[in-house]
Amino acid sequence: MIELRNVTKEFKVGANDKVVALKNINLRVKKGEIVLLKGPSGSGKSTILSLIAALNKPTSGEVIVDGKRVSKLADNFTSLFRRENIGFIFQRYNLIPTLSARENVIVPLIPSNPDSDWLEDRLKELFQNFSLESKMDVIVKNLSGGEQQRVAIARALINNPSIIIADEPTANLDKKLSLEFIEILKKLKNGHNSIIIASHDPLFFDLDFIDRQIDIHNGEII
Amino acid sequence: MKNRLNKFLFDFSVLSIFRRGSKNIFIFFVFTLLIFLLSSILFISNSIKSELDITINSLPDITVQRLQAGRAINMPLSRVNRLLAIDGVKAVIPRVWGYYYFANAGVNFSVVGIDQFEDQYRDLYTKLCDKFNFDRLKIDSGMLIGSGIDKILKNNFYQGYFNFVKPDGSLIKVKIDGIFNGDTKLESSDIIVMPSKKVREIFGMKPDEAVDFVIKIANPSEIPNIASKITQLYPDSRVITKEDLKISYQNLFDYKGGLFLALFVISAFTFFMIIYDKASGVSSDEKREIGILKAVGWTIDDILKEKFYEAFIISFVSFITALCLSIFYVYFLNAPLLKNIFIGYSSLKPEFDLPFCFDFQTFSIIFFLTVPIYIAATIIPSWRVASMDADEVMR
Repeated sequence: MIELRNVTKEFKVGANDKVVALKNINLRVKKGEIVLLKGPSGSGKSTILSLIAALNKPTSGEVIVDGKRVSKLADNFTSLFRRENIGFIFQRYNLIPTLSARENVIVPLIPSNPDSDWLEDRLKELFQNFSLESKMDVIVKNLSGGEQQRVAIARALINNPSIIIADEPTANLDKKLSLEFIEILKKLKNGHNSIIIASHDPLFFDLDFIDRQIDIHNGEII
Repeated sequence: MKNRLNKFLFDFSVLSIFRRGSKNIFIFFVFTLLIFLLSSILFISNSIKSELDITINSLPDITVQRLQAGRAINMPLSRVNRLLAIDGVKAVIPRVWGYYYFANAGVNFSVVGIDQFEDQYRDLYTKLCDKFNFDRLKIDSGMLIGSGIDKILKNNFYQGYFNFVKPDGSLIKVKIDGIFNGDTKLESSDIIVMPSKKVREIFGMKPDEAVDFVIKIANPSEIPNIASKITQLYPDSRVITKEDLKISYQNLFDYKGGLFLALFVISAFTFFMIIYDKASGVSSDEKREIGILKAVGWTIDDILKEKFYEAFIISFVSFITALCLSIFYVYFLNAPLLKNIFIGYSSLKPEFDLPFCFDFQTFSIIFFLTVPIYIAATIIPSWRVASMDADEVMR
């Protein structure tokens, strides 16, 4: 279970000014639930995702994941938390452009020094699932937008995360590729993974496999 | 299992070096060049210093010259007995020697006469000379020559002999009986040793004269006292003690060493400028990459380990390459250009080879002045970036 308790997040702008990105947010996401965070750009959706993934810390309040106060964890522990629990699909994919698709996908596992045979099997499985077998050794900057996104999804799933987070996943895709992504998302719903998507793309609004939709405006849940 | 080398992390580091190929090739090139320059300077100055130490140790306790109007002139042998009478003087050895200018090659040879004192020099010259029977010097009236002279004579088509021009313009042909292989090539490279009689002929010296006297003292602490007695006894003499010679040799070395130091400082300065530039920040691409690595679960330790491997591979390979190049340049090629900075008088003296002098201390100095500094300069800015929130770094 993911829980945000009275979370407020402020960002410093310049020397004295600050912007309030989230105001007193309270949110619960159950295990296996798929939640869509909706709202216009700048409403605070991505900030919520960052806080859940411990990429950032709240100014006040707490983020609790499976009983663990991740907002209070020290830096190295937040990294370990992400490695073990989170699969993050970034809006701009955040792939390393000079690495191949295969190398990008194994990046999250490198510090844990995985067993080579297990890793090969896992890569084969993921690249097959996302129809990327022929692109394994292609440098990602030479892949199309859709292919890059599928590589980013494969990277997010390589460590079998219990929480999958997707930030504006269709923002850089055309309609056909967006529908492809939605199909992939549908397959990921298996009752074990919690999936949180932040998007203002109307394609997501009428999907029946999404359990809950939450509107966010000016840093507040409506 | 946890402690085994992380092959994936190491491979990722190697891959990262090649991914940033042009930048790393530039760093590798500059780093190698600087280490090469630093180590060559240290190797050359070490070799020359070791030559100098050997030379200094073999210097006479006191050398006495005779001055006339401030100019050194020959010493009458009649002074030997009075000098021997001074308490503490163990031996007085008149020396017959001179600089012979060989115009064809534009170099000076140091010609030394020894036959009267063969017993004192026998061991030394036998040791210095390749396959040489010392007694032949006496029988054949030939000469021993330094390796530098051997090269020059061969280049000028002299095989096994040399024709010296006497003051009256006539020639005196002297056979070559042996070649020095000396430990002290700096000293022995330009030396010719032959019977004093021949030296006198070549330089037009009278039989009752010597160029100077070398005085051996029983107790080294008595040297200043005896030197002052000699000055009192012969006010026209210049008395040079071992200490004076040491200082003048040392001054020459320090002066030339100063030029080396200047080169060393320039190299070091360039190196530290590069290091400063590197330490002052990471590129936006690298910064973003660190952010991505953190976002997908790498800890600060993992990132620093990866950066360490990267920096270590680049700097260590550079170090080894530069060191090998430097050894080849100094000891196999005999340090062209750089050696001439020290051997400024090489146009007047024959060439000599730098003796191999590789000590662990020099190796350590070069290593600790370069590799760990480069690694630190790579790791510190990466650590600064890695310590920030991943979200902030990627933005």
